[in-house]
Order: sequence, then structure tokens, then C-alpha cells
Amino acid sequence: MAQHNLRTVVGFEFFRTVKKARFWVATLAIPVVIGVVFGLIFLSNETTSSTAEAQKNARLTFTYSDSSGLVTDSLAATFGGTRTTDDGAAVAAVRDGTVDAHFAFPEDPATQDVRIYGADKGIFQNGTYAAVARQILVSAAQQKIDSPQLAAVAQGNIAIESTTYKDGEVSGGIGVVIPPLLFLVIFYASIILLANQMIASTLEEKENRVTEMILTTLNPTTLIIGKVISVFMVGLVQVLVFVVPVVLGYVFFRENLSMPELDLSHLTLEPGPMTIGALLLLGGFILFTGTLVAIGAVVPTVKEAGNIYGPLIAVIFVPFYIVSLIVSDPEAPIVQIFTYFPFSAPVTALLRNAFGSLSRVEAGIVVAELFVFGFLALRLAVYLFRYGSIEYSKKLSLRTALGRRNHA
Amino acid sequence: MGAAVDAAEPLVHIRSFRMDFGSLTVIRDLSFDVHAGETFGFLGSNGSGKTTTLRALLGIYQPTAGTLHIDGKTFEPRDGARLGYLPEERGLYKKESVLDIMVYFGRLKGLSRQRAQVWSREYLERVALADKAATRLDKLSSGQQQKIQLGVTIMNDPELLILDEPTQGFDPVNRRLLMEIIETQKRAGATVIMVTHQMEEVERLCDRVILLKDGVAEAYGTVVEVQDRYGGTVIHLEHSGIVPTSNLYDITLAEPGHAELAPRAGTDETEILRELVGRGVVVRSFTAARTSLEEIFLRVYGEQPEPVGG
Repeated sequence: MAQHNLRTVVGFEFFRTVKKARFWVATLAIPVVIGVVFGLIFLSNETTSSTAEAQKNARLTFTYSDSSGLVTDSLAATFGGTRTTDDGAAVAAVRDGTVDAHFAFPEDPATQDVRIYGADKGIFQNGTYAAVARQILVSAAQQKIDSPQLAAVAQGNIAIESTTYKDGEVSGGIGVVIPPLLFLVIFYASIILLANQMIASTLEEKENRVTEMILTTLNPTTLIIGKVISVFMVGLVQVLVFVVPVVLGYVFFRENLSMPELDLSHLTLEPGPMTIGALLLLGGFILFTGTLVAIGAVVPTVKEAGNIYGPLIAVIFVPFYIVSLIVSDPEAPIVQIFTYFPFSAPVTALLRNAFGSLSRVEAGIVVAELFVFGFLALRLAVYLFRYGSIEYSKKLSLRTALGRRNHA
Repeated sequence: MGAAVDAAEPLVHIRSFRMDFGSLTVIRDLSFDVHAGETFGFLGSNGSGKTTTLRALLGIYQPTAGTLHIDGKTFEPRDGARLGYLPEERGLYKKESVLDIMVYFGRLKGLSRQRAQVWSREYLERVALADKAATRLDKLSSGQQQKIQLGVTIMNDPELLILDEPTQGFDPVNRRLLMEIIETQKRAGATVIMVTHQMEEVERLCDRVILLKDGVAEAYGTVVEVQDRYGGTVIHLEHSGIVPTSNLYDITLAEPGHAELAPRAGTDETEILRELVGRGVVVRSFTAARTSLEEIFLRVYGEQPEPVGG
């Protein structure tokens, strides 16, 4: 019977959410915005390509003077430049519009400014003058070095491949960090997307005065678990709706949208951090879910829920204020406090787990703590729902609710 | 009358029930039974603790003390499949369609989806709401919503039907329909516990009643027993001449041509009529009627201040 009721609750709660036009309007709004942004990028890229092509074909006519002695006439000519020794006349020619620009290269370009005088072609086009002047100097320097390798090194174009070792084995570097960090992303996404729905879902029984009918028909534990599962399923639908356009865009329009190519071969899935990450995610989800349901059981309206919900959600962002400390000095007292305080533990521990600073013992303690507190939060939520949701129009006093147990 | 106890094995069994809300005692000491198949009237003024008692019986409140059993054990929600409860605080999922709501509760009460749909459609037909199956609940009138709530309550033919002020919000036509539905359930063998202030309905439907006052049972028994205890029979007499005093009755009202007599204990109405005629009273009309529950209710609660709480 419990299984049957659980399925019934999940089905009812899930379908009544996804059947509503309001849900799809809200859910589709994000991919529509993403689509619009992608469309704009696409159009912008098309326009940029055309502009770049046009700029490539357009010739910039300019004069230049060179006190450094680096720029040769042949080099300047390839850019459309003509040497002059009279800066004043050259600037006047720019003013008259007979040439596009005049560059005055100083004696020491490393410490002195290159002065540029150009016809105003708009805020974006004007940047062309500086780009050309800079490129002339770079090319001139490379000619002086007379070695492509040295020129590349001088420019800092150096490819580096590093190998690090951990416990005698080659460590994966950033490729090891990224996969466990995905659990942190999932945690944030699930809490932010689902928290409001979770509170609203529980509050609905109170606001609709349906609590008594429900409590005499159905075990509150079954109802709460059913709601958690259905809200999670709704979240999955939302995630799919968000992700599918991005995946389709990547697969079919990656180049048009200037999306970077994903090379997943560098990612390393280490069983330890991945397992710990999954457990931290699950424990954190249970803890926050139980807490949110308990909030829904205590308060009479969504508005009042916001007063408690806001600070709770803020807590999961607090660790990011000390993210550099979490990564660089995990033994710092504040990091230790955040690691073990239940509501900041998921984020802090997931970060430390990804960066390899969470020991197995610490991970075990945090995972156990999250599951224990999560279980207690769910128990409390069920209890408060059972004895609190009957308080239809007023906020439940926790002391009153918990005191009732003693009367049994 | 702090405790009222029956010998037979009851379906609902309440003993020494006490309910405190902080420093406020709503129920002091309440004991009563409801037997299978009977219709039981649960009466009392507003705030006398009727709803509190029902909620404690159904596990929504935890009692401060006492035993509250249904079918020999404390109620658990999993037993709800055979219970129909119409709470005082009405409410269903307002944004859902009528049929979806009914099917949901039907499923929770153990019906298959198909059976729940068939039952719901038949019920909607019966209460003239067949065309509202796909309508959102909050688009219905208050009375129509009440009908849906009643339908959800009686789904799956509950063995125990607990109705907390079932006629609240119904117009006279729908009240009659509601009473027909309750009577149908009663004929089908359901035990009915009914909280109501409609005393004529109690007299018509209920086998036994309990009157709550100050957290205890003020009266408990069959309707006739309660009527006898709180006023018994009243004889309305239309007459000529003077009604003589007698040790068979008390004169409770004496007006020209009309009197009301209260028979003394053990006196038969026929004896009184014989006495009046024998002593020369010209009797034009002689009607014996029991004191109505409404009169008893007014007598019991009329002068009392409104209690607070549950």
C-alpha cells in the first residue's frame, strides 16, 4: 500500500506540475533566452566575418615618423605607410583628411608613447590605428631579432606540457579537478532550481486546507518522500529543457556559434573523489530538502517562507567568499568550520574534494554528518508537517509542535 | 456526566481523553463509544472541543491523555482507505481539475485508476456536476466544491464516515441531497459520526448523541434518552375551562385556552388525558411531543459564555 501510495503521490505531484502552461512558460523562458543569445551571436559572427573581410581588403593610408630607427620603409609600406620627417605637416594632412593617420614612433618605444593621429572613424574602427602601429613595431622587432624561435619566445608564445606526480603516480592536474567539481554545479543547480518548488509544494497542502484530508488518507512520510521525488523529477525535466538546446547548438552549430571545442580526453575520473563527490551531493541534497520541507510545514504562506529560505540559500554561497582560502589553506580554522557546519559543508567539502584537500577521514565524517542531519531534517519535516500543517493560518511554534510529542 | 461507557465492543472507543493546548484545557475527561452501523451525533457549542476530539481520534492531534481507538487500535493513516473524513476546514487542490482530484484521492483510498474514474464520473452525474469533470476546482461555486469534497469523502464506501458540520455551506436543496447521500452510506452499513448544529437532522438521522460541555460529556445516549433526561415529553393542550393541578403532571404553561403540561416520571400520556376529561376539562386538542434537541441544546448552552479553543 505504501508503495502504491508513493507512486500515486509522485505521479500526481509530477504531472500536475508539468501539465501546467505556467510551468512551461517559466521553464522554456531560459532556453528561449539562450536561443535568442545564440541567434544574436550567430548573426554577430556573420557580421563580424563580413566586417573582418572588408577590413582586410580596405587599405589604411598613413604617414609615419620613426625616431627609434626600428621601422624600415619596406615594412611600413606593407601596411600602407609612407615615411615623413615633418610631424606637423603630417598631422595637418590628417586634419585635412588627405591621409587616414600619422604615427610618430618615439626614440624608445619601450618607455615612450607612440603618438597616433587619425581621422575619427568611430569608437571601434579607431582602434585599428593602435593595432596597426603596434603590429608595425612588433614586426620591426622580429626583423631585428632575425629568428622566428627567438621572436616567438620574446612574445611569450611558449607551449608548456607539465607532468606532476602524486603518491608516485602521474597526477591528472586540472583534468582531475573538473569532474568532481561537476557535483558542486549539480548541487547548486538542484537547490536553486528546486528549493522554491519544494517549499511551495509543502505549503500548498496548508494553503488549500487539504492537510486533514491528506493526513487521514496517507502517511505523511510517504507524502513528503513522494513530493521530494516528484520535485526532483520536475527538476530533471527543467535541466533537460535547459541542456538540450545547448547540446544541439554544440553538435550542429558549434563553429557558427564560436563555441570552444570540448576535449574530454584530458578529464580523469578518479573513483575516490567521484564517489565522495556523489555522496556529498546526495547528503547535501537530503539535508537541504528536509530543511526546506520543514520550513514549508512551519510557515503559513510562501511570503513568510521567504524570510527563512533567503538566509538558508545564502549559506550555500558563503563558502565562495573564502574560496581562495579553501583551495590554498584547507587547514585554516574558518575553512574547517565551513567544512563541518552542516549547511556550508556540502559546498566547502565538494570544493575541497575536487581540489584534493579533503582527506578520506574528513570526507567520511562530513558524508556521515550530512546523511545523519539530512535524515533528522526529513524526520523533523515529516513531524512538523503532521502536527504543524494543521495550523493553517499561523506560524507554528516549534516548541509547541515538539512539545506535543510528550503528550502522547 | 464525566464518563459514559458502553459494554458492547465498539468501533470507536474513547476513554479518559484529555486535551490541553498549553494552559488551555479543551477536553477534560471524555469517554464514549460509537458502535458499528450506528449514526452518532456529536453535539456541542462552538469551541466545545468536538473538532479537537475528532482530530485526536484521527491522529492529527496527539492527546494529552487517554485512549482513542478505532476498531481496537490507534488510527494510522494507512487505515484511511476505509475512512471517510469530511473535516470542518474544507479544502482540496484548488488549481487541479475535479476529476484529477477525485481520482487522486480514489487511488490513495485503494481504488484502481479506472475504478476511481468510473466512480468519480458516476458521483458527478449523481450530484449534477458531470459537466464539471475537467473544470478546475477553484472555478466552481462554494456549494459545488462542497459536493466534490463530500464525494472524495465517501469514495471507496468507507466503513466509518466522520462528518464535521457536513451541511456547512449548503443551500436547502443541496442539504437534502447531502442527507440522502449520508443515508445511502448508512444503509450500506457505514458507521457515521456527525458533528452538526442542525438538530432536526440529528433527530432524524442519529441513533445516539453526545453533548459536550466544558470538556466533558453533558449528555450521552440515544436521542430519546437524552430527550427524556433533559425535558422528556411535553403535552400541548388546547382546551376550555381550567386545567386542574394534579400529581400526574406539572403545568409549565397556562394561557387562556392553551396549556403545556410536563408529565411526571412514570406517568403515561393516556392517564393524563383520562384525568383531564374526568375532571371536566373540555379537550379540543391533546398532543404529546418530546422536547426537541434544539430546546435541550438551548437549555444546556443557552446561558453559557462562548468557550475558547478547539
